[in-house]
Amino acid sequence: MTALMLAGALLLQFQLPAQGFLKKLKETADKALEKKVNEKVGIEDKSKEQEHQNKSGSERTGKATNKSGAGLKSTTPPDVAEQISDANKAYTAKNYNDARYSVQQALLGVELQIGKEILKSLPATVSGLPSDSTNDRVVSTNWGWANLTIARTYNKADKELNISIGNNQLYSGLTALYFNSSYSMQTDGQKENIKQIRVKGNKAIIQYDASDGYSVIVPLGQSGVIAWTGVNFATEDEMMAAVNAFDIDKVKSLLGEK
Amino acid sequence: MKQITIFLINILSVVVASSQDFVKNAATAKQSYNAGKLEDAHFALQQMLVELDITIGKEVLKLLPAQMETMKVNTVDDNVTANIGFVGATVRRSYGATDKRAEINIISNSPMVGTLNALFNSPLMNFANNGDTKMVKVQGYKARVTKESSSDKPGYKVEIPFNSALVTITANNCTETQALAMANTLPYAEIAKLIQ
Repeated sequence: MTALMLAGALLLQFQLPAQGFLKKLKETADKALEKKVNEKVGIEDKSKEQEHQNKSGSERTGKATNKSGAGLKSTTPPDVAEQISDANKAYTAKNYNDARYSVQQALLGVELQIGKEILKSLPATVSGLPSDSTNDRVVSTNWGWANLTIARTYNKADKELNISIGNNQLYSGLTALYFNSSYSMQTDGQKENIKQIRVKGNKAIIQYDASDGYSVIVPLGQSGVIAWTGVNFATEDEMMAAVNAFDIDKVKSLLGEK
Repeated sequence: MKQITIFLINILSVVVASSQDFVKNAATAKQSYNAGKLEDAHFALQQMLVELDITIGKEVLKLLPAQMETMKVNTVDDNVTANIGFVGATVRRSYGATDKRAEINIISNSPMVGTLNALFNSPLMNFANNGDTKMVKVQGYKARVTKESSSDKPGYKVEIPFNSALVTITANNCTETQALAMANTLPYAEIAKLIQ
């Protein structure tokens, strides 16, 4: 009797998932059929419609996702000459805080202009990759220790080259440390993944990482630095050909580095 | 008397030189900018910033008390530094002698201090409180008092953070009440106007 009950329970246990599976299979088949019919008739997929409604309607759960907004209006960079005059006036009136603000604004204005000049000097196409002007960036932090960063992206399909230029004493100092360190070389004994090279006569480092691709860093003068990252470049030579397409001396002179 | 006069003349000459430099650098910055020499303009502007920080520092020194409790100011220790670095400008003044001494340190325009202040206000800091630290208010400003028991005679440190500035008063061989009374002698509202 007990054995019979056990067998019944086992059968029931087996039947339950089996039934569930059959039900799911039927539902999937029904959905697929309905989708095909709707496609033929021209009715939008209900599940997509439902999803859309859930996102935008009152049934939405969790944090709202921003889907619209025109961003910030671009402001004109500070008028450098005017800011210097304001700083002078504030300084004479012993209003030092305002003088400081005006000098910072003037610095910001000058840095943004230097950045734009540098962007203008960069090639429009590198190794067949056109520049993506929507990603051009000039950032000035006002703090002095990392004042200026200029960035541009070149891309085509899944191949991408990024260049960042900065007069960033902190980073260039770290790169200088690297050059002066006896532990600079990292190698797995078979294949080097980081090494020192020269780019147009400038000391540089090239690095390869399986997930990030190639990166090249060239310190410029006292506080400048240029860094390139190449994603989906086939070889080191291909990466170096792209890096060599840039006029490093021109960038150096625009940054005021010797 | 003679020494004091020479000292005052020295201080005055530094201030005069500094204000002349500011005007000179402003002229260089404007001239270079108009001539399209952006990097030269940039350098001159950075110099202006350094000179301003030194001037501001000297103005702050003028606001600091000449005496803390019975301790007299050590004018030879007065120090103002400015740099285009992430430490920002610093002002230092000390009072008294080694066995009983107080010191005021003010760091301004420093992004590093901004980070520090964020930590001050973080609830995490309260978890790290070992009983030697507590929050108080000095002239309405939030401050942190820390007992420093490195020597036999304990001292106190009072830190008052502003946006990107930090005022620190340290005193040895004193009680907490005395340390807070010393901290209370500084005109924070006026200092804040200059350094914030």
